[in-house]
Amino acid sequence: MKLKSFVRLLIHSFEAILSSKGKAILMMLGTAVGIMLLSGVVGISRGVEKRIEEVMKFVGPRTGIIFAGGGRLTGASGRTGSGATLKLDDLNALRSSLSDRAVFSGAIRRDGFSLKYGSQATESQIFAGDTEFLIVNEWEIDSGEPIDNDDVRNVKRVCILGITAVKNLFTDEDPIGKRILINNIPFEVKGIFKPKGTNPMGFDLDDIVFIPLSTGMKRVFHTDSIRVIRFKVREGFDLTNVQEEIRGVLNQRHKIKEGEPSDFDIRTPLFIANRINEMTKTIRLGGYVLALVALFVGGIVLMNILLLSVSERIKEIGLKRAIGATQKDIFVEFLLESITVSLLGMALGVIFGLLPIFLLPKIMPMIPMAFTVKVFLYGFLFSLLVGIFFGVQPARRASKLTPIEALR
Amino acid sequence: MIELKGVKKTYYTDGKETPVLYGIDFKVEEGEYVAIMAPSGTGKSTLLNILGTLDKPTEGKYLFRGRDLTELNDDELSKLRNKSFGFVFQLFNLLNRVSVLDNILLPLLYTEVYPKNAREKALKLLSMVGLSERVHYKPNALSGGQQQRVAIARALINDPDLLLADEPTGNLDSKSSGEILEIFDEIHKRGRTIIVVTHEREVAERAERIITLKDGKVFKEERLK
Repeated sequence: MKLKSFVRLLIHSFEAILSSKGKAILMMLGTAVGIMLLSGVVGISRGVEKRIEEVMKFVGPRTGIIFAGGGRLTGASGRTGSGATLKLDDLNALRSSLSDRAVFSGAIRRDGFSLKYGSQATESQIFAGDTEFLIVNEWEIDSGEPIDNDDVRNVKRVCILGITAVKNLFTDEDPIGKRILINNIPFEVKGIFKPKGTNPMGFDLDDIVFIPLSTGMKRVFHTDSIRVIRFKVREGFDLTNVQEEIRGVLNQRHKIKEGEPSDFDIRTPLFIANRINEMTKTIRLGGYVLALVALFVGGIVLMNILLLSVSERIKEIGLKRAIGATQKDIFVEFLLESITVSLLGMALGVIFGLLPIFLLPKIMPMIPMAFTVKVFLYGFLFSLLVGIFFGVQPARRASKLTPIEALR
Repeated sequence: MIELKGVKKTYYTDGKETPVLYGIDFKVEEGEYVAIMAPSGTGKSTLLNILGTLDKPTEGKYLFRGRDLTELNDDELSKLRNKSFGFVFQLFNLLNRVSVLDNILLPLLYTEVYPKNAREKALKLLSMVGLSERVHYKPNALSGGQQQRVAIARALINDPDLLLADEPTGNLDSKSSGEILEIFDEIHKRGRTIIVVTHEREVAERAERIITLKDGKVFKEERLK
């Protein structure tokens, strides 16, 4: 068939569809709902991918975190039980046995500490860490000096501020060298971090105060245990292997036998990615199932209405056969109607499907959503399939009518 | 142009045989205007359907310009109908959802080569049947006589060799009937072959020759002009 005659046939099909709008809307409905759901699911899937990419980028592909306490996990960003199971000695042991494979750093993070400078007061969270912590996390200094081994060794009261903390405490002054009070303990501001923005969970990474690990443990938190140990695997070593070696060292130190649960947790970006994937799996799977059911039901509705339409238009078919339409012409005509209706349903579905993609992140930021052209691609493919699959039978029935049967 | 040789038609329903045509023989020459006359329900529509290749005879031969049409397959017959035959039905059979113009152009949806001047041609035919003012009307906004004139224009769009009309005035008042028959006269004058099936004597008498059927056979042939 030549393109021009195809276009004429297409226009003719459009006219047939437009002539009974009620029916057309019924025929479109299933595809529209199906494609709408499909768009939503495709959007979520893309959102998940994107969030995982963000997490990977944020955590770094070669880093991992050892959390104190074991047992149940509460989520990708969650903290494990408050077990004080990681000690400074654990950190030192890891350093001495695995320093050729990874850089280890210890840190304690706590919220809600009062900060004061002159008459300005605010609250912030305190990160107590060693010099390696800055390296592993790639936290860089914008001005001033970083905390060095001398500060850690001598339990010095020095700190580095994030820019949010700086803004909250200082108006015009240069903070470097100034004394601030953390929980009423005087600290000297040694440096300021480069801005880091927010993490994928929406947490402001610039609203922090960083102090030496030793100072934090002895003077501020009064504890001998650390909450997390971060590590960065050196080039040429495999993250998963190193993770297992760490587990071995710590299990031995904590006297945990094989098969028993550890009293700590090691998390890697891969683990976090899997968590996000798992959390959204049900939504995605359910969405796909619903979309397919809607498409199937919609397809059956479409087929039945089209079958009805064939019986109603028997005279028209007879006439067309009389004036020279072949069986194939009639078949193509009805199939084209089915496909056209289905594609119109798709257009509707994509429009309504794009709404949640753009609106849902504002209402429920927990559910990752992102736009992708796949929405159009899948929508087109699926509605084309529905149109063809469910249009074949009516089209066949129409084409098999003999002219004399149809004209009678 | 046309030769029927021993054409028989028997319908089979529920294992029961119903013979309708018992062996029809006649010829139609190029450019002739022939009426086939018979009372209702005596197989004249069946005969017209066979002549129009919408139905196949159970027995016998149908030669069209020397070619036996009973040997052609469905596709070949469709193409032949599109190219060489024009149909006018008792109930007009127009598509109400498209305009008068698109109804006339409808057969061109199925032609292998779409003529370049199709629209001009359709407008010319429309003016010939006296409906130039109604180009963009929908058929159901027209009177019966006007609808039948549109149907005639549609039948002529592909320049058919043969115009087949099945009770073309059967649903029309006498004034409209007269107008339709005048158009047939005009078409015939321009050299087209016409076969009209009717049960009305006045309609049949407009033709050059009347073939009367009785009991599924040719009962008599009269030459009028």
